Amino acid sequence: MIRTDKLVFEYIRRDEEGNVEGITRAVDEVDLSVEPGQFIAILGHNGSGKSTLAKHFNALLYPTEGEVYVDGMNTDDGEHLWEIRQEAGMIFQNPDNQIIGQVVEEDVGFGPENMGVPTEEIWERVDESLKAVRMDKFRKSSPNHLSGGQKQRVSIAGVIAMHPKCIIMDEPTAMLDPNGRREVIRAARALNQVEGITIILITHYMEEVVDADKVFVMDKGRIVMEGTPREVFSRVDKLKELRLGVPQVTLLAHELAKSGLPIHEPVLTRAELVKELKALKER
Amino acid sequence: MAILLNHVNYIYDEDTAMAHPALIDVSLNIPDGQFIGLIGHTGSGKSTLIQHMNGLVKPTSGQVLFDGEDINEKGYDKKALRAKVGLVFQYPEHQLFETDCFKDVCFGPKNQGLPKKEAELRAYEALKQVGFDDEYFYQSPFDLSGGQKRRVAIAGVLAMRPQVLILDEPTAGLDPKGREDILGLISRLHKETGITIILVSHSMEDVADYVQRIIVMNSGRVQFDGEPRQVFAHYRELEEIGLAAPQVTYVMKELKEAGFDVDENATTLEEAKNEILRVFK
Amino acid sequence: MLRDITLGQYYRTESVIHKLDPRVKLVATFAFIVSLFLVKNFIGYVIAFLFLALCVKLSNVPPRFIFRGMKAIFFLLILTMVFNLFLTPGDPLVTVWKFKITKEGIRLAFMMGIRLVFLITGSSLMTLTTTPNNLTDGLESLLKPLKKVHVPVHEISMMMSIALRFIPILMEETDKIMKAQMARGADFESGSLMTRARSLVPLLVPLFISAFRRANDLAMAMESRCYRGGEGRTKMKPLIYQSHDYIAYIAILAYLVLIVVFGRILFV
Repeated sequence: MIRTDKLVFEYIRRDEEGNVEGITRAVDEVDLSVEPGQFIAILGHNGSGKSTLAKHFNALLYPTEGEVYVDGMNTDDGEHLWEIRQEAGMIFQNPDNQIIGQVVEEDVGFGPENMGVPTEEIWERVDESLKAVRMDKFRKSSPNHLSGGQKQRVSIAGVIAMHPKCIIMDEPTAMLDPNGRREVIRAARALNQVEGITIILITHYMEEVVDADKVFVMDKGRIVMEGTPREVFSRVDKLKELRLGVPQVTLLAHELAKSGLPIHEPVLTRAELVKELKALKER
Repeated sequence: MAILLNHVNYIYDEDTAMAHPALIDVSLNIPDGQFIGLIGHTGSGKSTLIQHMNGLVKPTSGQVLFDGEDINEKGYDKKALRAKVGLVFQYPEHQLFETDCFKDVCFGPKNQGLPKKEAELRAYEALKQVGFDDEYFYQSPFDLSGGQKRRVAIAGVLAMRPQVLILDEPTAGLDPKGREDILGLISRLHKETGITIILVSHSMEDVADYVQRIIVMNSGRVQFDGEPRQVFAHYRELEEIGLAAPQVTYVMKELKEAGFDVDENATTLEEAKNEILRVFK
Repeated sequence: MLRDITLGQYYRTESVIHKLDPRVKLVATFAFIVSLFLVKNFIGYVIAFLFLALCVKLSNVPPRFIFRGMKAIFFLLILTMVFNLFLTPGDPLVTVWKFKITKEGIRLAFMMGIRLVFLITGSSLMTLTTTPNNLTDGLESLLKPLKKVHVPVHEISMMMSIALRFIPILMEETDKIMKAQMARGADFESGSLMTRARSLVPLLVPLFISAFRRANDLAMAMESRCYRGGEGRTKMKPLIYQSHDYIAYIAILAYLVLIVVFGRILFV
């Protein structure tokens, strides 16, 4: 679905007079590939380059070196620009700054309008998209009266209405409270499982990636770890070094193991930890 | 007895069709030197509550007392109050405006009417308290990373030398290490200076490790108020109002149900670890 | 304080007027305003009043909402009337110190007052019964002919609707920044004009930065959703005239004819 080949992105820093101060490599030789239908998570601390990377998947940024392919199309190839943006939809961090319409349903219709979809079909798409994120009850509401989680779901509906194959979510939960975070993650998972849409979730909340098919961890523009959540979470100390954490149970299990209890790491859920401890007790 | 709220009610958008109660009969006692976690989901009234404590919002009925005096009485010096009860808003870095960090931190003490020397001294101290590096003092605040900006913004309030420091979601939007750093910083401030701290959060896990007391707000009312272990004992009710106890609380409950002889009220990672290790000894 | 300014004071209810195409309402409002300046006699005002009253009745908007808009111009209304009352030359009726009240003055003050009240009522009725985005859609469609002379009609209406979407957000933000600076001892309310102007810096700088950040984010979000200007764009809610819209046009025309005939030509 998405493939990058030695992707490098550099930007030039300038001082107040416009003189070049230096060059920052925000993304550094990233090779990654995402298969259709996967649920992928990209982790990294603030400033690790994960958002810059994400913007390449939607042709909002273009590589300085290397290549990005979305569904076989090179993003550098201007001819496919609109196809790429339609196929790989994007959700951003700030719920307020990505809603254009003054009424929920009109915002959801914004993408299809831009694509030139006939009026009747826009209505069909808006209906089904709002249902998919369970926001159909709010279709006539003003976005200003919604909670953060609801606003993000409206944004997701706006992307689904464009019938994408893949949705890239750039820290969609960073500004939400726990309720809102749950709503958004639940919606993302449902889209992945029910509609088969590829999801790329960028986040630093570890709890959100436990169910991902694959996790990439970024630092200083590079991918420094990749694997299943189980593989990644088994390296608690390495993650801490990268300014990240692990879910509290994983950490508890890790601490117990360090204190000498023979626990099989990593432990990702509460049930797993209780099971482990029970097994230990019976021995 | 520093802050006392006496049957405070607040109606939002009074006199309009949108009127709705934001605070309902809130009575609280915030003694000097406590480290308090104030928890509630968005719209629970916690932000409105803290704005009552430094007089930014006036209660519709009821009183707010600071050191025994009603702050909404005519002639009460609110400006002086706001220096004593420092309030750090959510995303405080969005309020930075000066050309360099140091000047920005001086803004508060200058408004207090302090002489320039004294204001600068306090600003310097505050920046040191938040662990801000000297080399960035004269940089534009807009060139800093998110975590650094937030430190400058917190220093901006600390520089007024408040007796009570209220922080609204100070970790919002930061990465895990950034969150840990800021929380560590706040906890250190409490230990070193002994000032009262009210930490507003919606993350129980963040709060449980540090605070002595938790106040849970729900639909404008104080739902629970007590030590963390007392509050988390109500984990089922907390779930119902959209909040959850820390993961370890659940682990301990489940272990207890599975027949382990552990204290099910452990709320921090450290406590949980020690309890489990004790059982296996 | 800032929250009191309400733009787009749409009153949600069901009515014939609400259902009308925004273009009809825009044209009607324009026609009504023009008619007020055509009227030359008392009969004309009666006709205008009856037309307006009928529209208000049909709109199901409680009159107190309509008169709320009047509060804002009350001062202007009084001022206009006083000026006209005292400063119109003609036969003096009463003399108060140096000022004369003339017959013509009374007549003119009365006419201006009525005009202003009708004008505000008429345009309030339009904004009360039309959602702001419907209004921009209507304007875009009515101004379409200007595209031929290279007026960027689509862009202007897009800008208007984005502004309408973000004004409440920026209001809230202003309130928040103000409070945050007040928590740091800022004072926005006292001092001389100069100090007060200077005290706005801590409010305006963060507000501008935030507005630019939002604009940047929004541009990115729009681009990522395939926005590329008005070219080749379809509409989710295209404006299509229904039969009641044609009836409304006929009613407006009839009203204009009545005004011209009775308010201007006959009984001069």
